[in-house]
Amino acid sequence: MNRFSYVRATDVAQAAREAGAPAAKIIAGGTNLVDLMKYDVERPGRLVDITRLPGLRAIEDAADGGLRIGALVTNTEVAYDRRVEARYPLLSSTILAGATPQLRNSATTGGNLLQRTRCYYFYDVGTPCNKREPGTGCPAIPGVNRIHAVLGASEHCIATHPSDMCVAMAALEAVVRVSGPGGERAIPFAEFHRLPGDAPERDTNLGRGEVVTAVELPARGFPAHYTYLKLRDRHSYAFALVSVAVGMEMDGGRIGEARFALGGVAHKPWRDPEAEAMLRGQAASRDLFERAAERTLRGAKGYGHNTFKIELARRAIVRALEQAAAGTPQSQVDKRIR
Amino acid sequence: MPEGLSGQPLRRREDARFLTGAGRYTADLEAPGALHLHVLRSPHAHARVLGIETGAARTMPGVRLVLTGVDLADAGLGPLPCPAVVRTIGPLVVPDRHALARDRVRHVGEPVACVVAETSAEARDAAEAIEVSYDPLPAAVDGRAALAPGAPQVWMQAPGNQAFRFERGDRAAVEAGFACAAHVVSLDLVNQRVHAAPIEPRAAIGRHDAATDSFDLLLSGQSVHNIREQLAGPVLGVPADRVRLSCPDVGGGFGLKNFLFPEHVLVLHAARLLGRPVRWVADGSEEFQAAVHARDLQGTARLALDAEGRFLALHADMAADLGAYCSAFGPGVPTNSISNAMGTVYAVPAVLLEVRGAFTNTLPVDAYRGAGKPEANYMMERLVDAAARRCGFDPVALRRRNLVTAFPHRSAFGITMDSGGFAEALDAVEALADRAGFAARRAESEARGKLRGLGLACFLETARGAPGEWAAVRFADNGLVDLALGTQSNGQGHETSFAQVAADRLGLPFESFRLVQADTALVARGNGHGGARSLHMGGTALVLAIEAVLGRARRLAAHLLQAAPDDLAFAAGRFAVAGTERGVDLPALARAARDPANLPDGMAPGLDAEADNPSDLITFPSGAHVAEVEVDLDTGEVALVRYQAVDDYGNLVNPLLTEGQVQGGLAQGIGQALMERVVYDPDSGQLLSASPMDYALPRASDVPPLPVRFISVPTASNPLGVKGAGQAGAIAAPPTVMLAVLDALAPLGVSALDMPATPERIWKAIHEASGGGARPPA
Ligand SMILES: Cc1cc2nc3c(=O)[nH]c(=O)nc-3n(C[C@H](O)[C@H](O)[C@H](O)COP(=O)(O)OP(=O)(O)OC[C@H]3O[C@@H](n4cnc5c(N)ncnc54)[C@H](O)[C@@H]3O)c2cc1C
Ligand code: SF4
Repeated sequence: MNRFSYVRATDVAQAAREAGAPAAKIIAGGTNLVDLMKYDVERPGRLVDITRLPGLRAIEDAADGGLRIGALVTNTEVAYDRRVEARYPLLSSTILAGATPQLRNSATTGGNLLQRTRCYYFYDVGTPCNKREPGTGCPAIPGVNRIHAVLGASEHCIATHPSDMCVAMAALEAVVRVSGPGGERAIPFAEFHRLPGDAPERDTNLGRGEVVTAVELPARGFPAHYTYLKLRDRHSYAFALVSVAVGMEMDGGRIGEARFALGGVAHKPWRDPEAEAMLRGQAASRDLFERAAERTLRGAKGYGHNTFKIELARRAIVRALEQAAAGTPQSQVDKRIR
Repeated sequence: MPEGLSGQPLRRREDARFLTGAGRYTADLEAPGALHLHVLRSPHAHARVLGIETGAARTMPGVRLVLTGVDLADAGLGPLPCPAVVRTIGPLVVPDRHALARDRVRHVGEPVACVVAETSAEARDAAEAIEVSYDPLPAAVDGRAALAPGAPQVWMQAPGNQAFRFERGDRAAVEAGFACAAHVVSLDLVNQRVHAAPIEPRAAIGRHDAATDSFDLLLSGQSVHNIREQLAGPVLGVPADRVRLSCPDVGGGFGLKNFLFPEHVLVLHAARLLGRPVRWVADGSEEFQAAVHARDLQGTARLALDAEGRFLALHADMAADLGAYCSAFGPGVPTNSISNAMGTVYAVPAVLLEVRGAFTNTLPVDAYRGAGKPEANYMMERLVDAAARRCGFDPVALRRRNLVTAFPHRSAFGITMDSGGFAEALDAVEALADRAGFAARRAESEARGKLRGLGLACFLETARGAPGEWAAVRFADNGLVDLALGTQSNGQGHETSFAQVAADRLGLPFESFRLVQADTALVARGNGHGGARSLHMGGTALVLAIEAVLGRARRLAAHLLQAAPDDLAFAAGRFAVAGTERGVDLPALARAARDPANLPDGMAPGLDAEADNPSDLITFPSGAHVAEVEVDLDTGEVALVRYQAVDDYGNLVNPLLTEGQVQGGLAQGIGQALMERVVYDPDSGQLLSASPMDYALPRASDVPPLPVRFISVPTASNPLGVKGAGQAGAIAAPPTVMLAVLDALAPLGVSALDMPATPERIWKAIHEASGGGARPPA
């Protein structure tokens, strides 16, 4: 068993200082980190517990009409917050599509952003893995890769980011607030997670010692036309094979602002600005949605077991856009797909 | 059958304990002074072990003992035996399986060394300090591939990785059947590798008493006597009476806990060396990689039919993956167990089963709920359905034409089925299925973009498990009556059902009975739990023991009442002299029987009695099930929207428990049909489905309501008239659900699909059927 020391940080500055040490790791809800420690995938020398940090537990209205969600707010608290439900139902929906009630009660907003891939090989320390041990190779590429990426992967890693919540945040164009050795900064959501490239060990652009303090949602929340469609092997306790978060504004039959992001297909929530642009100002139609899906997936590449995801993603995009345009979002209670 | 509690849907007496957290499982038990054992396992599928350096680990805090394979060899411990008896063609290769690997490891998770320390954390820490140098070797990972030329060799003594060749049936008759057939269907089928995944992981506490050189093993197990038989002589080299095994509450077994495991040997040997209790509790991923897996049978099955659709011959040619070793019943499942059920509920005049057992660099495979019967039934129902589809028969009519309707029926393998309601079940399920209304339901689904399919399948179980069972009835001082049985409950409700049987026969209140089980010190012998055997094997033994008690009681009552034994009537727990008010209650007799002064000449004190049920008769539970699914064309998602079972289990002692057994089995069968699959990396042999996150067990939202209608055709093969119900669901659901999925996909030309029918596989099947084209027509 990996031995580690433990410190409970009392303010953000101390947390950042402690987290900056080489083998240190922040722990929030622990639902991902502790699992990885049990499997020996993460072997931190020091755990910096941030759960008692003051000021990170609130959901607050922002002056610009948006919402600020503290990094320690749990997934459950976000999903059932009245303001989130009313103004950002897409965000509630993605969270409720994920994990289980027990996990969501512990999982935090910051931890969800930074949860690690579910690649089988990454979890199995008996195998090589570039993400776990840079330079050792990627056995998923020739191996069993049905849950792996079809977009934006590299020859070094084809892992996906597993979060549901982040798919909504990408579509909502959230901003991640961080605090670290160099002070505070704001990272647009699209720049928060990385593609694997030649450094798959880095999931995000967070610097060493940087602590996520909040996620800010802009005012635009798509309360009427949205959906989160998550396709998976079973209805609960399963990550997305493919998921689609859509936020739209409709003016009669015509589409105004339109965003959609894919989960389960890339190293980060995947958006395609060109595909979204195709939708704006157009009348909603299956044909249009099929073309947008086509555009999104034009660079998609399968690795054998996961090739089905390209077609699955195409169909999921069409279905999700239809659901959003019609104002009939996917229910996360009766999880059957309509 | 006596009137009374038997047949009542009583709630389980054990529920209060289980639901309030008062159940006591092995890991909950205190063992003062106990040390903790941790097993270091192979990270490789196949490797030579060049050396094990334990020096650093031995000096770590809290460490009391480090053991390797060499230490066990020096101590003279034998290999874990494989008691399966299979009539193979040529030898059955049973390679030595030691509790700790010696010079080679042959699957990921194989035990290589173990550490015993004061705390579990210290044991784990020290295990990390053990340095094992491995020379990795190429791995054979798939059963069929392992039997092909050029595959990496798992065992020197098994060339071509062949563990055995098995053949049963009349080849000439089968060939003749195929030669004159009007129709032949042939399918390539895979019954995938699955994991039983009981909620309670395996656990054990070992003790040794130096004064008597005797061992005590507390474990989460299903069959204390059988495990002791394998452990005492063959491994420990001591007589069985110096080894006691017992189980507290057990949180599910499904077959997996029927076997002797390396960890059992390790805790006992360590306890002997250290003179202290030693405990071990598997963690979640250890169960996936180091318990046993199940099924894993693939090959070709063929069915010959005449022009009217009568079955002429059945032929299966299968490869069974045994994993790296022969687990206890591993070689028996794909051979003996399958053959009992070949042809299932149908009259098939000629049957041939050929099986080749393969060694691979994977975890050993052994029995799991149904063991062999799911394989035989899946094969048969897929063939029958394919025959109906391809040759233009109505699937229900084709089944009906071939059902066994006259009993007793002797199968092609010489097994006599005494009774069954095969046709009644089929008729009933057909009526409940509302086939006439299906077209409208299908159209309604299509309007929503879904393909709808209806699957209807019959099933036959051949229930017995190990033959023979033992029971005893003992009257305690406090008025309670102990029912001791050699079968075991892992949560299925024996405290309730056996008390129902006894209450009716002894005329005593239900509450007066206590179940004694799973302890070799309190139960003389028995075959534990496995094969849907408890009620007919154990229940019969109990009835015999009760009859013996009543015989003794009658003799004593006659003596005390000064009447002839034959003049006494027994009713409601009381012996009375016919036509008089004079009588005596059973509890009073039990008390009186303790004092020799009360006894007639030659009668030993006490009313207690025990009995052996020598029966080796199989019971034949059966039924017909129907499922409807909706397949989402865009996503390949399957929704099981309807399920109905119509089953025969003979007389029902407790319909509520029977229904629960069937439903639990169905959930596992639905899991096998739609979600579950153990996946190894085909190249490295690394286990990729090593957690409940990666191995998809069905959850509540995946399982629809599962109504079960009973038709009861009692069997005369046991005095209770009961047939085993424990495995049926896991046998029936996989074909039923798969046939529904195939029915949904049939309009697209899909006829080949293996379990589990995940969205990915369905998508691929659609894709391949449509010649790789884009979206198939909705
Ligand atoms: C069985 C299971 C099923 C699941 N299913 C789903 C699912 O379907 N969909 C889904 O989206 N998720 C799922 N999850 C993942 C779950 O959402 C995450 O585990 C959870 O969100 C992580 O949050 P946490 O607070 O527990 O993070 P922790 O485990 O505490 O931390 C995770 C990572 O984030 C870092 N971290 C945490 N907080 C901060 C911060 N403020 N600043 C910087 N770094 C930080 C930690 O150092 C660590 O690396 C599942 C998890 C499990 C165990
Ligand atoms: S896909 Fe990425 S995480 Fe998975 S094995 Fe390859 S490098 Fe590791």
